[in-house]
Amino acid sequence: MAQYDLTAAVAPFLDRHLVFPLLEFLQENQLYSDDQILKAKIELLAKTNMVDYAMDIHKSLYHTEDVPQDMVDRRAEVVGRLKVLEESAAPLISFLQNPALVQELRSDQQYNLQMLQERYQIGSDQIEALYQYAKFQFECGNYSGASDYLYQYRTLCTNSERSISALWGKLACEILMQNWDVATEEVNRLKETIDSKSFASPLSQLQQRTWLMHWSLFIFFNHDNGKNGIIDLFFSERYLNAIQTNAHHLLRYLVTAVIVNKRRRNVIKELIKVIQQERYTYSDPVTEFLECLYVNYDFEGAQQKLRECEEVIVSDFFLGKQLSENGFVTIPLRDEFMENARLFIFETYCRIHQCIDIGMLSQKLNMNYDDAARWIANLIRNARLDAKIDSKMGTVVMGTQSPNIYEQIIEKTKVLGQRSYALTSNLILTSAAVTASAAQ
Amino acid sequence: MASRFWTQNSDSESEEEEVSDLEDDIPLGGEGGGALPSKYLQGDSDSDESDDQGPRMVRSAKDKRFDELVQTTEQMKNYMKINDWVQLQESFERLNKQLEKVNRVTESVTAPRIYIKALVMLEDFLNATLVNKDAKKKMSPSNAKSLNYMKQKLKKNNKLFEADIEKFRANPESEVEDEIDEDDEDAESADGFSDDDIVERTMNSDEEDEEQEDDGGGWTSAEKKPKEMFPKMDPGQISWEMVDKKLKEIIVARGRKGTDRAEQVEQLSYLARCAKTPAQKLEVMVHVVSAQFDVNPSLNTHMPIAVWKKCVQNVLVILDILAQYPNIKMDETSEPEAENETEKGADYEGSIHVWGNMVAFLERIDDELFKSLQCIDPHTKDYVERLRDEPLFMTLAQNVQAYVERLGDMRAAARVALRRVEHVYYKPQEVYEAMRKLSELQSRVGGAAAEIVAGEDGEEKDGEAVMKASTETKGPAPFVLTPEIVPRRPSFPSVNRKLMDQLVTLIYKHGDERTRARAMLCDIYQHAISDEFYTARDLLLMSHLQESVMNMDISTQILFNRAMAQLGLCAFRESLVTEAHNCLSELYAGGRVKELLAQGVSQSRYHEKNPEQEKLERRRQMPFHMHINLELLEAVHLITAMLLEVPNMASSVHDMKRKMISKPFRRLLDINEKQMFTGPPENVRDHVMAATRALSKGDWKKAVEVIQSMDVWRLLGQRESIMEMLQEKLQEEALRTYIFTYSPYFESLSLDQLMVMFGLPEAQVHSIVSKMMIAEELHASWDQPTRCVVTHNMEPTRLQALASQFAEKLNVLVESNEKAFDARTGGGGLEGLGRRNKEGQDYADAAGGRRGGDFGGNRSGFRNNRGGRGGRDNQAGGRGARDNQGGFNNYNRGNQGRSGYNSGYQSTRYQDAYSSAGRTPYQAGPASGINNRGVQQADAGGRMVSLSRVGSNRF
Repeated sequence: MAQYDLTAAVAPFLDRHLVFPLLEFLQENQLYSDDQILKAKIELLAKTNMVDYAMDIHKSLYHTEDVPQDMVDRRAEVVGRLKVLEESAAPLISFLQNPALVQELRSDQQYNLQMLQERYQIGSDQIEALYQYAKFQFECGNYSGASDYLYQYRTLCTNSERSISALWGKLACEILMQNWDVATEEVNRLKETIDSKSFASPLSQLQQRTWLMHWSLFIFFNHDNGKNGIIDLFFSERYLNAIQTNAHHLLRYLVTAVIVNKRRRNVIKELIKVIQQERYTYSDPVTEFLECLYVNYDFEGAQQKLRECEEVIVSDFFLGKQLSENGFVTIPLRDEFMENARLFIFETYCRIHQCIDIGMLSQKLNMNYDDAARWIANLIRNARLDAKIDSKMGTVVMGTQSPNIYEQIIEKTKVLGQRSYALTSNLILTSAAVTASAAQ
Repeated sequence: MASRFWTQNSDSESEEEEVSDLEDDIPLGGEGGGALPSKYLQGDSDSDESDDQGPRMVRSAKDKRFDELVQTTEQMKNYMKINDWVQLQESFERLNKQLEKVNRVTESVTAPRIYIKALVMLEDFLNATLVNKDAKKKMSPSNAKSLNYMKQKLKKNNKLFEADIEKFRANPESEVEDEIDEDDEDAESADGFSDDDIVERTMNSDEEDEEQEDDGGGWTSAEKKPKEMFPKMDPGQISWEMVDKKLKEIIVARGRKGTDRAEQVEQLSYLARCAKTPAQKLEVMVHVVSAQFDVNPSLNTHMPIAVWKKCVQNVLVILDILAQYPNIKMDETSEPEAENETEKGADYEGSIHVWGNMVAFLERIDDELFKSLQCIDPHTKDYVERLRDEPLFMTLAQNVQAYVERLGDMRAAARVALRRVEHVYYKPQEVYEAMRKLSELQSRVGGAAAEIVAGEDGEEKDGEAVMKASTETKGPAPFVLTPEIVPRRPSFPSVNRKLMDQLVTLIYKHGDERTRARAMLCDIYQHAISDEFYTARDLLLMSHLQESVMNMDISTQILFNRAMAQLGLCAFRESLVTEAHNCLSELYAGGRVKELLAQGVSQSRYHEKNPEQEKLERRRQMPFHMHINLELLEAVHLITAMLLEVPNMASSVHDMKRKMISKPFRRLLDINEKQMFTGPPENVRDHVMAATRALSKGDWKKAVEVIQSMDVWRLLGQRESIMEMLQEKLQEEALRTYIFTYSPYFESLSLDQLMVMFGLPEAQVHSIVSKMMIAEELHASWDQPTRCVVTHNMEPTRLQALASQFAEKLNVLVESNEKAFDARTGGGGLEGLGRRNKEGQDYADAAGGRRGGDFGGNRSGFRNNRGGRGGRDNQAGGRGARDNQGGFNNYNRGNQGRSGYNSGYQSTRYQDAYSSAGRTPYQAGPASGINNRGVQQADAGGRMVSLSRVGSNRF
């Protein structure tokens, strides 16, 4: 399944800290050898400040107690730097930690800055220091602290570039702390900023959009309303463009979300178009499934792909999230996906068939005969399909829904009268208005 | 006669010479009745004329002219006194005009004495003024400008009358007699005199030789054999000034009638050898090259190949000099003779400016190469020989590019790079490889030839060989030796793609709009011939060239057409039938492919072209080796059209609403069906028609057989796989056609039978039939247990069909009513529009104001669901696989509608019959909406609007 692993494709668009959970997941899944992953982890940590953690990993990787000298040096350096930053940001932090004083801040940023400057001698240097300190905290893995500082920094920040950086930092913190609600808000805020801000180059804007989409994956597949969110976000024109340009692999998540989400069937057509367009650059079992089903009407192929999809989902960090309930480990998304995919197959099957053998169907759906019959009966009831089960023959018979030609014509002409009437009345209205104004 | 008296009066105030001159005239005038003007005026003018008609008539007209001359001269004198050069300039011009008139009247070409006198006077005055630097500085700008102008004009002008001036200077006193003599002579024997004059002029050089001997080496003449140029000089004694003076003389003679261009080149090359300083040598070389360009004056013929080769060598030498002395700058802005900068020797450190433009030279050389390839008959050996010169040009281009890059003029570098690209883009890897090998071979042979075959033009890969040869044979060794610095052979990367990428990246980064567009098209072409359809297509779409190309020049449009043709062929090879057809259909829509691709002229019955247009067209033609095989192109176009159109026709036998996909194809088919007797297929069309007939009966075997028997396929590389692809496509379409045609007559069709009939695997048949069911093209459904297609026969009766059509038309009527209303009242229609769009009707373009009133869009838009690619955001960053993509950000103007693809591919209309070879305008706006019919259209329309807004925000 390693060939469908997207970690390598996704990682460049994520923050170092965000990649970490991905690696953990890979480690659990044992797609790659432990050593490889541990090495990747050390490499990942090398540029962050989580030196202690890196040391631990190093020990477990090489099974030694020795730690390379550069790591020790780095640790000293990090600690030193932390001290410096802490000092320089201290006045502002002490101010912010005093609730009484914070009360004095108002919504007017200009006023706040002036007030801080005058009464507490806190100028732009200190504010800048706060940002650096927050960033440092984040690098060290202290996400909640960083999140707080960044929040406060944003209220005082005047530099729009910095402000965006702070937003990204805050989002990362929230994601890593798994505060999905807050993170969703942050994503929306960021999205607004990205869309509204006029970037110097469209390229950087595209870049930011791509990042946002990747980061939001964390949220969408954990938040309750995420499956709607992802469809909304990814299907908005500019983001869809970004996917097509920059990040084809995101199609997998989009397709999954669409299949799982019963209420958003209407986007399937567009999605298929996109998949077909991008087929030459990206395809994986999930997209191929949809293609088999809706482009080639190849049900055998769809079955085949569905089986592959299952594996893909399980081994994907975002999709294969496990829940353990009562000792059972379930992957909720997989079950949902399989169920809905089956439904898709069946529906399409029904559309082009007049008569289906239940036995064959049960095989295709991986069920036994009775289950299949029951499942179909349920479907017929729920989806209000025009179908009946002929239990003697063991078939499902579909009602033919060919529209009568008279009905067609009536349908076509039905609204015409109404529309003409509306048109006439509009015409009269405007002409009356014209005459009235002329009369005046 | 009155005027005579009047002039006489005014003349009397003038100087003695004039007076005496006129005094002589007066009696002559008097003869004609000057004393009795009133009498003649009153009545007897006729008799007067008859009296002494001949001489008097001549005299009066002539005299009038002469008087004018005299008058102007007088004025000039006055102006000289007040130092008014502006007026002087005017008078001078008037004087010249008058001279012409005088000459016309006297029917002679010689200048009258008085004119010469004026010239001498002017020259003296000019020299005096020039010497007086202070006065010059004090002049008003306009005055100074005129002075400069006069300086040049006069010098040029005086050249013509050198002999006369000389004579005049020799004895200014004798003029009075001369004048009279001349007058008489003019009247009597104008012919003889003018003959003399002609002789005099043509013999100019001889005469000047004599003069020179008189002057003792003060060489004033311009036209002499090189060897005679410094006759008494040992080459070592020639000074910088001499060369400089000489050079200026030659330049002045340039472009004048009667100058032997070839000889000028020779003189200049001789001068180049005599040049004292590198800068001067450079300066002279620049003129040599320009003179070589002059050798062929006509736009339609090409420069002689030998001259071309020499010219290339000369430019290489220029590059050598420039490389050797980086302090010498070459630009177009520096005044040609501003200062004597070129005097500074080789060891001078400061910067020296020399006039010239390498890029322009290069482009001219390229144009000449192109022209020669156009002119030479492609089936001769000459053509092949000529093609072998291409590496030579590539060398030059490479060096020039390196030079301008060194100067930091990236814009110019982009221009040069484009020239290089245009020599590479159409070459498939094999041809490129051949060129590379050839250039390697040539350089080896050339190296040997430098020693052995001195002076022979055939092998001069090595520039110095010729240089040496010419110096050995024609004169002393050059003073300024220029070592060969710039490489004399091109360095080609092993893969042409690499070269392309490298050049194209540079152009995208630095080129101007046109250069970039052309480079982009070449890039697309190159990708297309190397079977990278998607890359090529993405490039095309992202550049949005199909929208802007109609505003470009014709040659770019031709390039665009060529790129489209290759894209079509590429799509066909990749078995993308619809795409191939979309690319090619517009080329064939007007039936003038040859002109659109600039591969020959097709005779049109309706438009007589005038010679001017024909000439222009001929100038645009592509050289033979760049041609795209038209037969193959036609075959591909017709076959793709057939594959799309045959099932389409079958599906819409009763349905008038369905649009045809390919009009040219339908037309051909109609013609073919009207034939009384159809013989065995001979050409491409016949073959495709025969295949069509078979296919429409569902007889795929025969269709395949006919198609495969075409002999154009030998032009294709991977013939086997393409034949297989074609067979499969034919089988599929035959199946579809069969089902369309015969399903109404069946209650059910067995899957197994279909499989056997069309030789297709089960999955494919199932898939095709299912697709037709879903698309509601076939009213049937599968009966799974029996593996049958059960048709729900509901073919409407004639009445029903008509009723349905009627309802449809009513719909259209109401819609257009509403639209008319909306258009009148504005605004209010938009919300209604949204509603209607949901109904999937033909409204998309209403949002942008409907322009074309036709509902007849192209159905292929529906099939072509590739529209989305037009809306790509910005490819550059994320892909990263291809480094040159970074360069064309600017090409991606915002996210245009998702239907951009359609609009480009599908919407060419041939509007202007006269813009014969050019890309006829694309209809970007409305057509795209029309193409995108049906359900897609609803969202396409909506998006077009929002996106155009987005686009403006973002860029």
